[in-house]
Amino acid sequence: MTEAKEPKASPKKPKLNLNRVEMPKQSEHERRHNFDEVALGYTWELAKEEASRCIQCKKRNCQQGCPVNIDIPDFIAALQREEIEEASRILKRKTSLPGVCGRVCPQELQCEQACTLNKKGAPIAIGRLERFIADWERTQGAPTMPEMAPSTGKKVAVVGSGPSGLTVASDLAILGHQVVLFEALHVAGGVLMYGIPEFRLPKEIVQREVQYVQALGVDLRLNTVIGINYSLDELLNTDYDAVYLAPGAGLPKFMRVPGENLNMVYSANEFLTRTNLMKAYLYPEYATPIKMGKRVAVIGGGNVAMDAARCAVRLGAQEVYVIYRRTRAEMPARLEEIENAEEEGIQFHFLCNPTGFLSDGRNNVAAMELIRMQLTEPDESGRRRPVPIPGSEYIMDVDTVVVSLGTSPNPLIPSTTPDLEVTRWGTVVIDERGRTSKARVWAGGDIVSGGATVISAMGEGRIAAAAMHEYLTNGQKKIIPPTPAKDED
Amino acid sequence: MYPIVDHEVLAPRVHRLRVQAPVVAEKAKPGQFVILIIDEKGERVPFTISDWDRDAGTVDFVFIEVGKTTQQLATLQPGDRLLSFIGPLGRAAEVDRYGHVVTVLSGYGIAATVPIIRALKEHGNTVTTIVQAPDKERLFGVHPLEELSDDLILALGTKGDGMMESTTVAIRKLLDAHPKKPVDRVIAMCSLCLMRVLSEMTRPLGIKTMVHLTPVMVDGTGMCGACRLSVGGTNRFACVHGPEFDGHEVDGWEVLMARRCTYADESILQQGFQCRGCSQW
Ligand SMILES: Cc1cc2nc3c(=O)[nH]c(=O)nc-3n(C[C@H](O)[C@H](O)[C@H](O)COP(=O)(O)OP(=O)(O)OC[C@H]3O[C@@H](n4cnc5c(N)ncnc54)[C@H](O)[C@@H]3O)c2cc1C
Ligand SMILES: Cc1cc2nc3c(=O)[nH]c(=O)nc-3n(C[C@H](O)[C@H](O)[C@H](O)COP(=O)(O)OP(=O)(O)OC[C@H]3O[C@@H](n4cnc5c(N)ncnc54)[C@H](O)[C@@H]3O)c2cc1C
Ligand code: SF4
Ligand code: FES
Repeated sequence: MTEAKEPKASPKKPKLNLNRVEMPKQSEHERRHNFDEVALGYTWELAKEEASRCIQCKKRNCQQGCPVNIDIPDFIAALQREEIEEASRILKRKTSLPGVCGRVCPQELQCEQACTLNKKGAPIAIGRLERFIADWERTQGAPTMPEMAPSTGKKVAVVGSGPSGLTVASDLAILGHQVVLFEALHVAGGVLMYGIPEFRLPKEIVQREVQYVQALGVDLRLNTVIGINYSLDELLNTDYDAVYLAPGAGLPKFMRVPGENLNMVYSANEFLTRTNLMKAYLYPEYATPIKMGKRVAVIGGGNVAMDAARCAVRLGAQEVYVIYRRTRAEMPARLEEIENAEEEGIQFHFLCNPTGFLSDGRNNVAAMELIRMQLTEPDESGRRRPVPIPGSEYIMDVDTVVVSLGTSPNPLIPSTTPDLEVTRWGTVVIDERGRTSKARVWAGGDIVSGGATVISAMGEGRIAAAAMHEYLTNGQKKIIPPTPAKDED
Repeated sequence: MYPIVDHEVLAPRVHRLRVQAPVVAEKAKPGQFVILIIDEKGERVPFTISDWDRDAGTVDFVFIEVGKTTQQLATLQPGDRLLSFIGPLGRAAEVDRYGHVVTVLSGYGIAATVPIIRALKEHGNTVTTIVQAPDKERLFGVHPLEELSDDLILALGTKGDGMMESTTVAIRKLLDAHPKKPVDRVIAMCSLCLMRVLSEMTRPLGIKTMVHLTPVMVDGTGMCGACRLSVGGTNRFACVHGPEFDGHEVDGWEVLMARRCTYADESILQQGFQCRGCSQW
């Protein structure tokens, strides 16, 4: 257990402080017109105050709620002792991307949901504290370099530089392996760069993590598509002893309804890639344009839909509608982002679903046809399915549509690797330690889950990196503490 | 970074660049393309590979100045570097022994089809090439086509210089002689409008007609869906499943053209897609 600095715990139960410290944000009015970060982060004063609310539970509920088992009570205790550097060190034991996770993790479903104080409705704002620590560390100059193991002489290829690939690349580099990280796009970071907008996750933070990974000696090869420039077998048969696949799930899903290919109907991937990766919001300084109308409909209810809708607001749309076939309660997006979207004036249309798109006569979208939906009684799993209400079709005028129904794995690598086992959804099959059906190949992240979270992509990377290291060193004892860790204390 | 090693002006506003990109050269095949970015603020823009040299590690493409990126490319000189150069993307053009193949080219297609024609000849085909250009001045790249093709027809858009023949008239003549003088396959890399017309002309005769489609693209690897189009009733991504498609199976040409012109000048839109701003003339 962490030792408390106080001489003796007071005999009385301390009074619980249920005043969760709010994080300052840009005003709704202001932020509708810029791409700057919305949440401004805690000051040290605010962080101290929030940390002081933590009652240091013996049961460590929060830690159990964390997908990568961060020693949450310990880093909060360090903050209580005003040892920010120590807090940072504790964080970094389990996450290599605290500045990212602190901003985009769905804490309300993870650590904060599990937090003891959540029973009283005021969980510790663990994400905000994590973010505070990461941001503090960034102002302290170059990140401290970990101790590097001597070279093992083994060479590993990591495919895809999203959170999962970055994690494996850094873990294996630290363990002494030579790592080459292949990325299809012209910048590293995966969804963190092309999907999640600047106002939620500044790109500078992501690039700093990428530079850190490069500073560990990882050889980043941008503009290189595995499955095109090199097949997986070529990698295995030439230089590499093992491969980690983390190409994400980048293939956009469409609805397959009439008119879906009309001009000005975008996939969320195109809309977000133009806006975020290519910086279309800075057009014409940046060369990539994005054409946007006045009435924008975003179809879907997840984080991706929230991001697209909020980008549309900032790009100058007059009205932005989110079209979701269930209700607010079922929306998969993070609560915080739904609230942000509401504050920014985005209009939510629940219990309806597009059945087609209509042309203006020149093949630009001018309207969409929707049908009203209702939720069935809960089935055995307790889930209420949306079903259309017959005859309830209606028309809504829109001049831009962003289809945001999720993505599935890009078939490029599986289709060029016949002996790599995939499910019928195209996700790569792995065992509990990330090993695929193909010898010397591991996988993790969205290519395995079909689309999950940054932290799970990272966590799967951690587990696979440990397994790969074991393989590469012929069953030598593992050195990094991989995830389920009862190893501390 | 990808250094430019050669820059040749082929005709007014038409350029050929040679780029040092061994990884791309290594796997390039006829009909494939690259996506390049000039600098940090640049757009991702696709160009068809017109030649390559695996030993030297170079890749060539020919482009026409139509807008921001292509105008900027036109100013680059050997020694300048491109930020990004990704490829070879898309599927290679289908090449086999067909018999008599007619190729119809305009714009950059005049250069970008050369590797396909070369491969067709290697497979023992007879090739008739029809080249369309707005006028003599803007005609380029005839020499290699002359050497490779069994027959070369020039269709120049301006009247009165003796060589004028409209592309569709030239094709009509060839199709009228079919099947006595059979046309076994048509391959077109020219404007969308012309490719559509061609497909309609050959459809009743059942002559397989391959078109090279160039919808607006962003990533070029199947991630954004910008390049989607309906082929034979299913959605296809031109960057992954194409850019070569069977013209008789392409549905929704109008939608394709509207999408292609999303970022074209509004005035071009109003002219009913006359392809003025189109790099394929
Ligand atoms: C708009 C949006 C918002 C999101 N918001 C959140 C959020 O708030 N919180 C959260 O936890 N999660 C969020 N997610 C989900 C989260 O981003 C993903 O689960 C996570 O990024 C998956 O990581 P990954 O490493 O598996 O793949 P990715 O991040 O997708 O990275 C894969 C990388 O591999 C590259 N690649 C693909 N194919 C190849 C190839 N053949 N060769 C070489 N490189 C290749 C890709 O270009 C990409 O850079 C969001 C996702 C999106 C799209
Ligand atoms: C697979 C493919 C192969 C191509 N090969 C060649 C080639 O070998 N030589 C050549 O000169 N051109 C080629 N093009 C077209 C070329 O990409 C466009 O001319 C170029 O993007 C114009 O950019 P710009 O900034 O100069 O002009 P802009 O002013 O941006 O656009 C002019 C017109 O070019 C088209 N265009 C713009 N951006 C894109 C984009 N990202 N993707 C596709 N089309 C776009 C649009 O129709 C637009 O109206 C190809 C396109 C595709 C899709
Ligand atoms: S569960 Fe909540 S209160 Fe308890 S230690 Fe964790 S963060 Fe602190
Ligand atoms: S260009 Fe993005 S999917 Fe084809």
